[in-house]
Amino acid sequence: MNSPNLTLGIDVGSSAVKMALVDYGALPEVIEVINERIRKRNPAHVIATGLQRLLECHGLVYEDLLYVASTGEGELVSRKRGHFYSMTTHAKGAYHYHPEARTVVDMGALFCRVISLNGSAQVHSYAMTGQCASGSGQFLENITRYLGVTIDEVGPLSLRSMNPARTSGICAVLAETDVINMVSQGIPTPDIIKGIHLSISGRIIQLLSRFKAKSPVVLTGGMAQDPGLLAALKEQAQDRNLKLEIYPAKDCVAAGAIGAALWGGFRHFKLLQAKS
Amino acid sequence: MGNVTYAQTMSSIEKLFDDLTFEYVRQWKAKLPSRRVIGFLPIYIPREIIHACGMLPVGIFGAGDRIPVVRGDAYFQSYICHLPRTVVELALCGNFGDFDGFLFPSICDVIRNLSGIFKLQFENKLVRYLDFPQNFDPEVGGVFYRRILDDLINDLSSLNGLRPTNNNLNESIAVYNRSRRLLLDLVRLRTEKPHLLSAVDFYKLRRAGNTLSVEDFNALLENLLQFVGQIDAEPEDKIRVVVTGAFCEQPPLGLIKTIENAGCYIVDDDFQLGLTWFSQDIPDYSDDPLGALVESLLELKTFSSAVFEDDRMRGELLAERVLERKADGVIFCAPSFCDPALLDRPILERAMNKHHIKHTSLQYHENLGQFHVIKEQAGAFSDMIKLWE
Repeated sequence: MNSPNLTLGIDVGSSAVKMALVDYGALPEVIEVINERIRKRNPAHVIATGLQRLLECHGLVYEDLLYVASTGEGELVSRKRGHFYSMTTHAKGAYHYHPEARTVVDMGALFCRVISLNGSAQVHSYAMTGQCASGSGQFLENITRYLGVTIDEVGPLSLRSMNPARTSGICAVLAETDVINMVSQGIPTPDIIKGIHLSISGRIIQLLSRFKAKSPVVLTGGMAQDPGLLAALKEQAQDRNLKLEIYPAKDCVAAGAIGAALWGGFRHFKLLQAKS
Repeated sequence: MGNVTYAQTMSSIEKLFDDLTFEYVRQWKAKLPSRRVIGFLPIYIPREIIHACGMLPVGIFGAGDRIPVVRGDAYFQSYICHLPRTVVELALCGNFGDFDGFLFPSICDVIRNLSGIFKLQFENKLVRYLDFPQNFDPEVGGVFYRRILDDLINDLSSLNGLRPTNNNLNESIAVYNRSRRLLLDLVRLRTEKPHLLSAVDFYKLRRAGNTLSVEDFNALLENLLQFVGQIDAEPEDKIRVVVTGAFCEQPPLGLIKTIENAGCYIVDDDFQLGLTWFSQDIPDYSDDPLGALVESLLELKTFSSAVFEDDRMRGELLAERVLERKADGVIFCAPSFCDPALLDRPILERAMNKHHIKHTSLQYHENLGQFHVIKEQAGAFSDMIKLWE
């Protein structure tokens, strides 16, 4: 590969490492994104091997990269030039593909965050779900284990629900107990999943409403690719009369990594300019 | 120190930091029967005098999150800062068994009350609340402080029967001058290249400086300066911040790490302010070394919420410090319930606004275990400066 403007973003999450290789030219272009599940491995090892594979695949060496930026748990990336806060990177990652976005919802493994941004991807303000994990991807993943389904099956199953069950929207522990009870009562799996989706989306919609979020709302993070959750969000927004257009960002899982790579490029040239 | 490696040096510092039983102090004291150990609370005490009396000054900075507070809570109301609780806990658990006396510098009411508790707990040990002048006129504050120092020498001499000569005092002043110079060299090196020594390691090093004898600490500093100067590493793209407001209750290591990991180089802080209380040497050749100590304090340039301001505008001094350290911003980082720091914060913030210096504020307590909010705040602060300034 022969581009002088390559930057790399590495987003270290609690369940996966995402990487994005970007050509930061006049019109920045995402060349490749990688999403590697950590699966009880040492995250530093996952990062190192992922990076090596990515570089080899494109015939690159580390020094070819103008700026390697981390985001998320960035301290696990031993070799980098800079670190950006995950809110800033998710906003930028969503904005890259969707410059019309005025609100971004980062739906990660541990929490959900609503971010308001202006017309140049600058973060204005934000709000987060509380400390409880019941609005997070990790919670959803735990539930799939009780139900014996894979995470990829969750969305389609939820869409088949006819009579959603109600679960606790406040506490992950109570919600998990609810799910165990529902399984033993013989409630169909799609109804249980839809109930979970409604519980998670209820928290997000509440946040959007309190935040007076502006449309369109672009979703990023692992949960953004779940069609069941998206449907639940739209339903609840309609129920509460919120006129919000809601859709997932392109490459939503890697939005943080893409944003980091893009801000890395921005920063590289800003520093160059300052030097000259 | 001999031919030790960098890793060995850092490991010895870490060991000292982790040791709440003060094993180093025990070993130091066992070497001579006349040796005595004097514990002191933050921020500043004239360690030269303790040293000249043949004693070891040892800083007492609480125990952070390393001991559960069981009895300490019974001595302080819930709206009082955390440091005195772990200090009392250490005292009641017998961790100060090798200490012969305790000095409590006048910095706030809590420390004054703590000195009272120590008086009750340690009836057979020296416990002194040490006043400092709030008037910097030599004829007023100077005379007052001279009397305080005379009393201190009398008190200390009563412990081992050794009264320091002028020569002893001058030698002690000289060795502490050297210590401050070495430490300030390291501060300057970190100002230029903060990536060569992390803020956490630098902090632990300074904590060691409040336990080790000054001779051992100076040897450690010399070694480290040599090691750090030889490191060849590229800096990361981080903003440079001055962290201020912590001077007494110590921040947990996780907080310092979190600020650095969030994209900030801490190029100056007041975590261990007492070690560099004076930025200039104190004359070490005087016929009146006590007078030299008094004069240095009256001309003090260091600013702190625990020092009476008089005509010294600490906001302006902080702005000067930011400029001197080429910092991009200030993080006001004070312990919860710390009145001196928190009451000063609006004044300092106003001064930063006047000088167009970016700043953010946070609070902690020494046993804080969750740093998520701090990560959010420091990360947002760093990005704001890096991307939109």
